[in-house]
Amino acid sequence: MLFQINYKSGKPVYLQVVDQVKAAAASGTIQSGEALPSIRPLAEELRVNRNTIAKAYTELESQGVIETIPGRGCFIRPNNSPLKKEVRRKLLIEEIDQVVVQAHHLQVPPDELLSLVQDRLAVMEHRQRINEKEL
Amino acid sequence: MNQPEPVIEIKDLVYTYGKGDAVHGFNLQVQPGRCYGLFGRNGAGKTTTIKCLLNLLRPRQGSVRLFGLDPAKNEVEVKRRLAYVPDFVAFYPWMTVRETLDYLASFREHWNRETERGLLERFQLEPDQRTTALSKGQRTQVALVAAICPEPDLLLLDEPTSGLDPIVRREFIETVIGAYQEGDPGKRTILVSTHLISEFEGLIDQFTIMDKGKDVLALEADQARDRYQKIRARFNVPVPDASFPGALHVKRNGRELELIANGGGAAILEQLRSLGPESLTSEALTLEEVFVATLK
Repeated sequence: MLFQINYKSGKPVYLQVVDQVKAAAASGTIQSGEALPSIRPLAEELRVNRNTIAKAYTELESQGVIETIPGRGCFIRPNNSPLKKEVRRKLLIEEIDQVVVQAHHLQVPPDELLSLVQDRLAVMEHRQRINEKEL
Repeated sequence: MNQPEPVIEIKDLVYTYGKGDAVHGFNLQVQPGRCYGLFGRNGAGKTTTIKCLLNLLRPRQGSVRLFGLDPAKNEVEVKRRLAYVPDFVAFYPWMTVRETLDYLASFREHWNRETERGLLERFQLEPDQRTTALSKGQRTQVALVAAICPEPDLLLLDEPTSGLDPIVRREFIETVIGAYQEGDPGKRTILVSTHLISEFEGLIDQFTIMDKGKDVLALEADQARDRYQKIRARFNVPVPDASFPGALHVKRNGRELELIANGGGAAILEQLRSLGPESLTSEALTLEEVFVATLK
């Protein structure tokens, strides 16, 4: 997979890597069981600190997105979060609340927000289907 | 919590040349395992500071410690644990690349031959070539090989990429990330002084901006990109005549407004929103932009 670091986003670099791996795994661009690039070549390629990539992979592992097999590398795990269902819901609600607040400030009314969410879900499904066909 | 002993600790360093002050009350603390940027304009005192670390200059006042030791009293102990790449590299002209590396290796307790072979191949350096026949880029590459092979705890880089072409610069940085950081990452500490900040943006996790011999700002890189924002607003009427407390710089141009915020970005965005702009955007400042905004 290809990564894109944007220093103007204000988001810490390691979180950008985390989010991009999660997005790729959710859309099926990278499949369960597939290996992530190892730390050194990825750090060299993106010209970022080795510790930044290591931190991103540690975070992905603690979120249950990848698993590290010593001596072999980091692999995408099947999608089953180690967290309990209510915890997972609570984490998502926090994110949704931010979107709701943002929608208010950007003057996007509730019905429009809901249809936007549906659109985005459809885009994600579309991507998943394309990636399944390629397999 | 007990912090580990800093690799570099500089307190109130003063070093004066014949006329004018080179370093005038400078402070710096670098923890092990970090890649630390020392940013400053030409003449800010970066090289003088590094020379004090290397005991090439004796501080007039203040204290300098490396690994908790005074480099003037424990010069050998300090130097066996660090390596230094200056901006201008000089070798003995009668030696070849091979002889130069062997000569430099003879001063070291440890030298990773495997790393050396890999880097010579990567840089396509001819071992039999005399150092006088090397380009500036190649001389820097040889110096980098000589600095990385002993696998030191601290790598001091003084304007290492100035005057090099973009390809050599990229390779230089990739090598520092790959070959140097590969070892025990918790112990591999880097201090890089530079004014070519954007190239080192991804590598640096903490930095100090130095100006006129003093430290003016020390921050984590992620923190800096979080705190400093460039906010742009466009109105369909001339920009309202409001003042923006907390903005570092304000630029007005007809119906457009550009502000640099340091920390108070959310409040400024809120204030602008209430003025009903046509468009409103904000983005983080890169480290180079933080540097410019701080010294402007």
